[in-house]
Order: sequence, then C-alpha cells, then structure tokens
Amino acid sequence: MNCHQCQKNCYSIKQKHSWWTRLTKKYRKEPLLAIDGNIALVGTPNVGKSVLFNRLTGNYVTVSNYPGTTVEVSRGIAKIKDYQIRVIDTPGMYSLVPISEEEQVSRDLLLEESLDMVIHVVDAKNLGRMLPLTFQLMEAGLTVILAINMIDEAEQLGLKVEPDALKIELGIPVVVMSAALNRGVRELKQTILQLLSFQPEPDSANVEMVR
Amino acid sequence: MNALSKVQIGQVQTVAQLQTQDITIRRKLMALGITPGSSLVLEQRFPSYVVKVGYTRAALDREIAASIFVR
Amino acid sequence: MTNPIIYPEPIEQAIASLENWLQSIGEQNILRHYSLSPRSLALLLLQKDPTIWQTLKQDDKQQQEVEVLLTVAENQLQYPVDLAIAESREKHARNLAGITIQTTQPAANSTQEILHRLSVNPITGFPILMVILYFGVYKFVGEFGAGELVDRIEGFFEGQINPIVNQIVAQILPWQPLQDLIGNDYGIITLGIRYATAIVLPVVATYFLMFSLLEDSGYLPRMSLMLDRLFKSIGLSGRAVIPMVLGLGCDTMATMVTRTLETKRERLIATFLLSLAVPCAAQWGVILGLLAQKPAALMVWGGLIVAIFLFVGYLSAKFFPGTSGAFYLEIPPLRLPKLGNILTKTWIRMKWYFWEILPLFIWASVLIWLGKLTGLFDLIIRGIEPFAVAIGMPPDTAPIFLYGFFRRDYGAAGLFDIQQQGGLTGNQLVVAAVVLTLFLPCIAQLQIMIKEQGLKTTAIMVAFIVPFAFLIGYCVNLFLNVLGVTL
Ligand SMILES: Nc1nc2c(ncn2[C@@H]2O[C@H](COP(=O)(O)OP(=O)(O)O)[C@@H](O)[C@H]2O)c(=O)[nH]1
Ligand SMILES: [Mg+2]
Repeated sequence: MNCHQCQKNCYSIKQKHSWWTRLTKKYRKEPLLAIDGNIALVGTPNVGKSVLFNRLTGNYVTVSNYPGTTVEVSRGIAKIKDYQIRVIDTPGMYSLVPISEEEQVSRDLLLEESLDMVIHVVDAKNLGRMLPLTFQLMEAGLTVILAINMIDEAEQLGLKVEPDALKIELGIPVVVMSAALNRGVRELKQTILQLLSFQPEPDSANVEMVR
Repeated sequence: MNALSKVQIGQVQTVAQLQTQDITIRRKLMALGITPGSSLVLEQRFPSYVVKVGYTRAALDREIAASIFVR
Repeated sequence: MTNPIIYPEPIEQAIASLENWLQSIGEQNILRHYSLSPRSLALLLLQKDPTIWQTLKQDDKQQQEVEVLLTVAENQLQYPVDLAIAESREKHARNLAGITIQTTQPAANSTQEILHRLSVNPITGFPILMVILYFGVYKFVGEFGAGELVDRIEGFFEGQINPIVNQIVAQILPWQPLQDLIGNDYGIITLGIRYATAIVLPVVATYFLMFSLLEDSGYLPRMSLMLDRLFKSIGLSGRAVIPMVLGLGCDTMATMVTRTLETKRERLIATFLLSLAVPCAAQWGVILGLLAQKPAALMVWGGLIVAIFLFVGYLSAKFFPGTSGAFYLEIPPLRLPKLGNILTKTWIRMKWYFWEILPLFIWASVLIWLGKLTGLFDLIIRGIEPFAVAIGMPPDTAPIFLYGFFRRDYGAAGLFDIQQQGGLTGNQLVVAAVVLTLFLPCIAQLQIMIKEQGLKTTAIMVAFIVPFAFLIGYCVNLFLNVLGVTL
C-alpha cells in the first residue's frame, strides 16, 4: 500500500531536489553540494527502518507493526548539518540470498546501486539472529554502520546492551538507539558524517556540533 | 530425536535437525533463527504452530513445523 | 574492511579459488557489474544464489568453470555448503551477541504476554476476533461512519449546499444543460463531489482509522495465524489475510500488497477474490448503513458474500494447479499504537483515496451529462433496464449499475441515493447489494490488476465477474420469491 505513495513521494522528492539545488546554488554563498552521500537502511522486516527513515528525512513512509509493510524502495533526503544525504528505505531482508519478492527488491538495490554506506538496523532483543546479515554486508565490501534499535524494549525485558566489545570485534561503528523514542538518532547522524569523512574524529566532532 | 508434533508444549527444546528437501524452507527457518543447535519453545500447535526462539516468536504451518526435529 | 568471519577450510579454499578465477577472467567476467566484493560474489555462488546463477548461465564456459570449483568444495565438506556457511555465521553471531547483551533480570509475564496468549489461543482467540469485528467493523465503521457521519454530512449537502448551488447555477447560467452540468440531479457538485465527500469519505476514513489501529497494535499477524488453516482451503495461506483485510478498506491498495504473497498461484487467487468478493469500505459501509434497520436482510447479504468468497476460493484452489504457499510469519510483540503514527497514516491514506476518486467522480458526472445531452445515457439505461428488471429491481435503478461500472463505491452511493428517496423493498435492496458487491472492480483496481497480472488474465476475470454478479442476483431474487420471503 506504500507503492502509490512511494512513487509519488519519490517523484516529488526528485523534483523538489533539483529545484532546491538550483535555488541554493544561485542564492547561497556557501554552495551546498547536490548530494553528499547515498545511504541505504537495510535489515530484517519490522525492526524500525521506516521509523528511522521518517526521522532522518522528514518524509513519511508507512510504519506498521508487522513484517511486510514496506514492499518498495523509497528515497528521501536527510539534511545533516549542511550536508544533504540521500537515504533509501528498503523492504526487509533476512540475508543476502533472497527468499521472497520484497527481499529481492532490497538485494537488487545492494547489487546495482552505488551506495556510500548502509545502515544495518537490528532489533536489540534479537541481536544474535540478525548479526549474520551484518557479516554479509561487510563481506560485500560495503561500509556498514550497525544500528542496534529498540533499545527501549530490550531494557524493559531486562537486557543490557554493551556495544564496546562488539565495535572492536567487528571493526565498524555501532550505535545503540531507539528510533521510535528518538534516542541515539543524533549519535547516528554524527557517525554517518564521520564515516563519510565530513567530520573529524569523535572528540573534535563535539566541538563542531556546539559551534 | 523428536518431531515437533510430539514434544511437550512450553518446554525448552534444542533443535537437532531440519529435515527438508526444500532449500527455501530451510532458509526461512534459518532466517527465523531456527537452526541446528538453537533452542526453542513450542507454545501451541493449533490453529498454527507457534514457537519462540530467543525473543522472536514465529507462526509456522504444519508442513514447515514437520521439518523441525528436536532433542 | 576486514573479513568478519573465517569459514571452515574447504570453504575458504573454494572462496579463494573463486576469487582467483574472478580476477583471472577480469574484463570478460559477466558478474563484473555487480557492486559486490569478489569474496561476497564467491559466497553467493557457493550458496547457489538464483539471480547470480542466472546471470552466469549466459556464459556456458564461465558457468562450467564455477561448477567444477563448487563440486570440489562440496566433495571435501560432505555437507551442504550453504548450511556450513550459515552455521559459521550463526556461531560467530551468537558469540558476539553473548558478549554484547547481558540479561540482568528474568523477563516477567507482562500484560503484553497475557494479551498475546489470549489472542492466539483458539478458545479465546476466535471470540476475540469476533468482538474486534463486531465493534471495529460493525459498530464503528458501519453504524458510526456509514450511519451517523454519512447522515450528517449528506444531510448538510442536501439541506444546505445543493439548494444553494442549484440556485446560483440557475441564476448565473442561462442554459439549462449547463446548469445540469454543475447542479441538479447529476451535477458535478450536487452528485460527483457530494458522493465523494458525503457518502464515501466518512466510511473510508473510519475504516482506515480502525485498520491503522489493528496494524500498529500487531494484531494482524495474529489474525493471519488464526486463519491460516481456513485460508489454506481456498488456495491461500495465512499471509493473504493482511491483503484481504486491507481489501475491505480499498481493493486497489490490497491488490498491490498481494506482492507479499509467495507463489504466483496465491497472488492470482488473491487478486481474483479481491476483485470478486471483497467489497471495499465505501461499498460495504454504505450497504451496511442501508441494511442496518433490516437485520435479516443484512444476514442474507453478509452470509451470501462470505459463502461466495469461500466457495469460489475453494473452486479456484481446485482449478488452478499447484499448492498453497508455505506459511511462516514472524509475530511481532503487541505494541501500544502511537497516536501520531495512526493519525498520519490514516490521513495519508484518506488523502490518497480522496484524490484518487474525486476526479473519477467528477468525470462520471461529466460523462453522464454528456450522455444525457446526446441521448446516449438513456439508450444505455434502456439497455440495462431488462437486466435490472430480470433480477427483480424497479427499472429506475438501472443507473446505479451504470455507476457501478465507473467505480464500486459510486454504485453503492447511487443505491444509497435511491433508498433515500424511499424506493426499494427489503428483497430488492438485498439483491442490489449483492450484485453491486460482486460487480466489477473499480477502474483504479483494474489498472493495478493489469499491471500486476497482465491484460489477458484481467480480461478473463472481468468476463467471468460481470455475468456472475447478475446470475447470482437473479438466483437470489428467484429464491426469495419462490420461498416467499420478504426481508
Ligand atoms: N518500542 C519501539 N518500537 C519501535 C522502535 N522502532 C520501531 N518501532 C516499532 O516497530 C514497528 C516496525 O517499525 P517499521 O519502521 O515499520 O519497521 P521496518 O519494517 O523495519 O520498516 C512499528 O510498530 C514501530 O512503531 C523503537 O525503537 N522502539
Ligand atoms: Mg518499513
């Protein structure tokens, strides 16, 4: 049911964007680059990718509490500081080898689109089941951020998440967050900029943010 | 080794084997975290099988459930 | 990026030789355009990924070379390669999850858990399903949306807007036909816009609101689990429950969502049933509103549509070869719906629906106007009249079947109009409701059907549906008459 919306969305975003860049290129002193990065949100169905997409871009794609809500790709622009980053929301996928048609859609995106980065969104409660996809994304040579979402629900169940050892073991950035409660979204944005090398390492990054 | 249709409801079981010729069924089960060595709890059999693997809950029909064997 | 996983030796060897091979053939490599690392490609080949293998098949020589490398690895492992790969990953994942997640206290049996148990236990689950249907569908959408809201907005139109429009039109437009285009019986405002905003919108809005609540609470997957067995007998699986329930809101949206179904056969049957026997909210809402005072008539209509849904489903399951898709579904936790999301979602769907129907309704008004002007309308109506009479309807109901051709909700709105003028007996109302429910899918739905299933399949479905609808109407009328029932 997102399809209609999404096609409309995508279309209007593209339109808006070219219009926007033209405007900004003309009238802005500091020119904004057209698109500073292209990132995709991937992960198992129903882990909060679409909620995160809505948070990052301000566009609305349908969010529902069951797997299979999103059946098509939607695109939006996230403005993080002065950067414009294209964010792509995908249908769920369990592994790089697809089973159903929606999974195929996500996999094709990974195969064919040139992405600067993927954010692998996982459910903190089911981390063990979802990490295999993180490995596969890393093996594929993609730049990966692991976003451990739904931390609020994990805490309610009495689970404690300590991501430091995981960061070291995997060698990729790990962000603990709750997209629905807007927890950790700022850290995620910062990590995105760092990884796209728009920002120096964490310590000085804070100074940047304050300025 | 026991078929899922025989085991007691509500007890922790360890998955021993997935017996199916159908590679996609195996992939589906693996996607849900049901793999040899993982533990699961059978919660009900009717109208559909419901199993809990860690904090994941999944509904399975009889045919898929029949491919799961536990210790 | 470093390799997160080291696989068992034979697999690593196979990866290495595949990587070497990919490198050695360089530019000629037909997998070259995939933006994946060689290691990842090697692993996908080892797992027999269908897409990648399909691409590889374009080059016999390369395919053979890969097959040789694979056979070597398989022989060394004596174990399915894809299982070995998955197991290495899972073992590592479990270890990493172990050092990341600490359990601090055992999870208590929360309210959520209890509610879940109640909703899927067959003894309590089916009654809960009935209660949800009764209050959500019958009370809220039927009585409140299609009853209260429609009456008020419709009353407002009839009482305030239409007279004013007619008056203004009569004063500023000198030519009678031009007045009829905007106002009077079939005008753009007095008919088209009135139908869209006063009759259809309130019903659709209340349904989408209720549906969003069901979606966000996580009840729908539980409903799938409860109904899987029933759906298996009509060639579908529990997965098809969600598109079907969505179809009770808007069949066009639902036809798109059949994509989540696994097999072609399942999608075909679901699409067919959606276009035949699943009325959209505007349709059944209006009908529910009309039949609400006649419980017996309501039961006949409802029972008949459900029976046709099940029976035709059962027959198509027999008719189309193949088996139902396997049913497996993750059941998310029950969550408290977030008001913001519910409202946004309902609003977006409503907006989409409204802009989808408004132009069509306006066009319908224009077409009817043109038809009246040229006399074509009367010609068509006269063509339909015998059919209407044959199923026991008064001749002046013929236009609503013509409306039905434009859109299902338009036909229902037309029925509402005629009934407001006091015209129909209980029997006639039931027959009209049955025929209009089964009748043609709307234009938007036809477009999606053609897109998803192709022109030929769609044409066959339509060729079945139209006569079938009238035939059933005829039978119902005959039956009621023979039995001497007056509803
Ligand atoms: N408690 C909680 N719920 C969340 C969080 N993120 C998403 N959800 C809920 O999880 C469900 C699935 O979210 P959605 O974004 O549609 O998942 P997607 O399938 O990955 O796109 C929705 O009901 C959300 O409200 C979170 O961080 N905490
Ligand atoms: Mg989504």
